Amino acid sequence: MIYTQKNPALFIIGLFMLAIWYSADSGLMGPVLEHLASGKSYKYYDELGTLPLYFGLFSVVTGLWHWLGRHREGHLDYYSSTIAGGMLILFITMLVRWFIAPEIEVISISLGEVGNTGKYAHDLFGLNYVVLGIVAGIVIVNVFRVPSWAGNGVRLSRLGLKTGVILLGALYSAAELKNLGGLSVLMIGFFVLGSVGIVLWIGSRRNISHSMGGVLSAGMGVCGVSATVAVAPVVQAKPVEIAYTIGTILLWGVGCMFLFPIIGHLLDMSYVQFGAWAGTGILNSAQVAGAALAFQPDGIETLMVAEIFNITRVLILPVVVLWLAVWYVRKEGADAAQVNVGRVVITKFPVFVIGFILMFALSTTGIFAPASHYQGKYFGNTAELGFNTENLLKTGQIELLKAEAHKVERTDHRDALNRLIENGKIMSIDEGNTILSMIKTAYLSDEANKILNTAHKAVYHTAKKIEVFREWITWLFAFGLVGLGMQITVSSMKQAGGEPAIIGGIVGFIKAALSLIVVILFIGDTV
Amino acid sequence: MFQHILLASHGTEGAIAAETMALRVCAANGRIDHLIVVPEFWQGMTGDDWLNNGITRDRFRDYLDSALRQDIEQHCKRINQKMSDRGLACRHVVLSGKPEQAVLRQAGTQTYDLVVIGSPRPDGKLGLRSAMLTKKLICTLKTAVLIAPHPEQNT
Repeated sequence: MIYTQKNPALFIIGLFMLAIWYSADSGLMGPVLEHLASGKSYKYYDELGTLPLYFGLFSVVTGLWHWLGRHREGHLDYYSSTIAGGMLILFITMLVRWFIAPEIEVISISLGEVGNTGKYAHDLFGLNYVVLGIVAGIVIVNVFRVPSWAGNGVRLSRLGLKTGVILLGALYSAAELKNLGGLSVLMIGFFVLGSVGIVLWIGSRRNISHSMGGVLSAGMGVCGVSATVAVAPVVQAKPVEIAYTIGTILLWGVGCMFLFPIIGHLLDMSYVQFGAWAGTGILNSAQVAGAALAFQPDGIETLMVAEIFNITRVLILPVVVLWLAVWYVRKEGADAAQVNVGRVVITKFPVFVIGFILMFALSTTGIFAPASHYQGKYFGNTAELGFNTENLLKTGQIELLKAEAHKVERTDHRDALNRLIENGKIMSIDEGNTILSMIKTAYLSDEANKILNTAHKAVYHTAKKIEVFREWITWLFAFGLVGLGMQITVSSMKQAGGEPAIIGGIVGFIKAALSLIVVILFIGDTV
Repeated sequence: MFQHILLASHGTEGAIAAETMALRVCAANGRIDHLIVVPEFWQGMTGDDWLNNGITRDRFRDYLDSALRQDIEQHCKRINQKMSDRGLACRHVVLSGKPEQAVLRQAGTQTYDLVVIGSPRPDGKLGLRSAMLTKKLICTLKTAVLIAPHPEQNT
């Protein structure tokens, strides 16, 4: 069978991308971007100048080959057939990230803040490019259908998420990974195994079949649809049981993806708190990443926390599959030889986690960037370390600080201020922290505090390599999530019902509520 | 009595009522084409799974495929029994897609005297959601349609 279709679609997508690049580069799009920036500077201008050009050219060339070239059966044909769908997802992601989400933001700001929340609608409801991208995917598959030329590429979107997780491995420090890993093992261990146990217990009380109990407990407990897919053949679930379970999980997952960020913002949760909560409380693993990026669309700190929880879940999956297999065999009295421990562990082991660990190991060698560069921003007060001499304090600023120095009460604060006045810049990380503490204490005037703030910012830099990594990871996740949105059909969600809807509702709610309480009570802003 | 009937049935209570109705109105030497629709939502059953590897996903698809096939075989066996008891000829047709479209597609392939389908289940009754009896179906079919009442439907 030849998979690559002779279709001009990819070529046309490429032309559209090039048109975007040309309009942005030539300034034709200036007024539009100015409108979308709503008074600030348009934040995606750099991306507009590169991505649509590179991917546009790639799509035009491959599109011409797809459309007019000859295709033969084989591996090359199969892999090339995924390009059109992949570029369709990328094009949708571009449109949503660069134009649709900013337009929603403009409209939201023009409507004013929501009640007395102090937040605009787009912030409160998480209407950013990630959520809107997933919604766009869901709308496309359910209203227009995925075109046949894009089918293979849409399925490839999983690779985007897996690659994103692998690259994410390069951004953790050893301490972060140790602390987050420990926390996730505790929380996932308690909530996942607890949910599996509760579902099996409720199932036995409500007299549901063992196959339904098995498939439902995996879906509700571990990682949603992925766990259901892994466990259904093991516990010999009936098709109707699979349909009920997957429908319920998809419905819950999509609902949680919208609801969790709203609750997170209303409760002013930190990145760590929200990542831990989403990673534990959301039934379906795809929506964990979606909710994390929806909560923090312009950074990946929340995603980094949530993905550690996701990885812990997926590592627990083979254990749960084994547990349920043994449980089912015992309950049904089936042939015990069916459970092949080695086979289950090998076939269910998530290979991409090895990639994640490898990237982490490589990053600890300093191959990507020095260790200090990973902590969000790094300290540097010399030109070699990225300090711009134009940021030295000006005479007027120094005079103002001198004039207000008498207001400073604490000795360490006074020393740090004197050193700043003396050198025109912050000289060490400790002094930087002391200056920050002074700003918070607010015993200087607003203007003096502004000068201190500028001086602090001037010595903290984001490493270029790390910034690029973060950008790539954001794009890979956005790409993967839009593609996964294109695989969520309303017809499968509509199957939510029966016992899974009742039990799933109870367990899903308990898990989300309890994990929220635990996170609020025991987890702080950092780990 | 009708000579050539298209019976859409997939084993639910409403569909079994349609089977009974079809047998009742079929001529002694008549023929029934039994249409089974595998609804399109099964294609989306791997949903947004992204954590599993290809082996696990393939195993799930194969498992689901064989489970659905087994259901269909059992259903056909039951219909065959009913038909042979009445001495009627029966042919099974399996189509996948949206149920209404599948009925329209099959009805367009041959000349039928009658199409027999079941009623939607009453509200609150559990079952998979995949409507066959739609306004579009009724308005588009060029053959007489007999809708068997659901056994639990209050008259």
